[in-house]
Amino acid sequence: MWISLFLLAIIGISSGAVVSGGVFTVLISVGLVPRFAGRTRTAKEVLKYENFVVAGTIFGGVLSIFQFKILFGFLFASVFGFFSGIFVGCLALSIAEMLDTIPVFSRRVKFKNLKLAINAVAIGKAVGSLVYFIKDYK
Amino acid sequence: MIKETLYIKAERNVKITKDKVLISDIGKVYCTDSGILSQVKALQILDIEKAEQKSQYVISILKIIEVVNQIFPQVTVVNLGETDVIVEIVKPKNIGRAEKIWYFIKVGFVCCICFFGTAFTIMAFHNDIGITSVFDNLYFLITGKEAMGITSLEVFYSLGLSAGIVVFYNHIGKKRITNDPTPIEVEMRIYEEDVDTAIVESNNREGNSIDVD
Repeated sequence: MWISLFLLAIIGISSGAVVSGGVFTVLISVGLVPRFAGRTRTAKEVLKYENFVVAGTIFGGVLSIFQFKILFGFLFASVFGFFSGIFVGCLALSIAEMLDTIPVFSRRVKFKNLKLAINAVAIGKAVGSLVYFIKDYK
Repeated sequence: MIKETLYIKAERNVKITKDKVLISDIGKVYCTDSGILSQVKALQILDIEKAEQKSQYVISILKIIEVVNQIFPQVTVVNLGETDVIVEIVKPKNIGRAEKIWYFIKVGFVCCICFFGTAFTIMAFHNDIGITSVFDNLYFLITGKEAMGITSLEVFYSLGLSAGIVVFYNHIGKKRITNDPTPIEVEMRIYEEDVDTAIVESNNREGNSIDVD
């Protein structure tokens, strides 16, 4: 029985380490946190932000693996939704940007008004996610 | 008259709190003739009060060479640094209570995004791959028994997840594991360089940079 426990431990630790490395390489390579820090002009707090990235990952990982019930209520859920929404919104656009979607498109169709395009993306995202959730709600 | 050589190592991005931009603000200057050196350092490139009001200016190295050669025609200027310098005007303001609170709010906001965003990301990833069924299946394959509730696999996975991310980011709290910069610090520098390049490019394209005519 010890051998299988040992095997489980090895598999568990190594898969956990690789998953965290893999998931966060994506986050790093799209450069999300530097952008937040640059935008708010708080570049010297980058270490603090990293700590929260680490804490958030462990929190989310533990929560979703063990399915703990944390009954913090409606307010916490709203806060969670709000901030993770910002994060995912930025993440999605960063990935699109990394693949040069918008520059390529605007060059192809000779469209110069980038501001309009970005606002359109933002509105489209909001409408899209609302439509998605309303459809599920019925 | 002997021809002197003046070496300039221009910075990419400098922050100025004064109203006048001197050559010594732009970068490091070196010349074997210390008399020329001290005079060149004090030469003025830009007078912000007279110039068009902007928060940042892009100054071409050619402009600097022109300014130097107008005063010292015998000096050859050699630039070893950047060819365009971004001068950012930072108004010296006494940081009051309101600024401090605002700064604190901004940092807190970004911290919250980092915390909840990454929590959400890893949960979404676990949901994507259906982690509970993967674990149950793996547990069954290894032990031959059905998993009941939380197994050791899940405990060790969480340990591995924590260890992996701490090693990846290279620090626990303020304590660094090795002396290397962390991945986000590296990305931060790359991001700043990209922004600087974009500022220079767009200023050159629009003809807004301070250059020789």
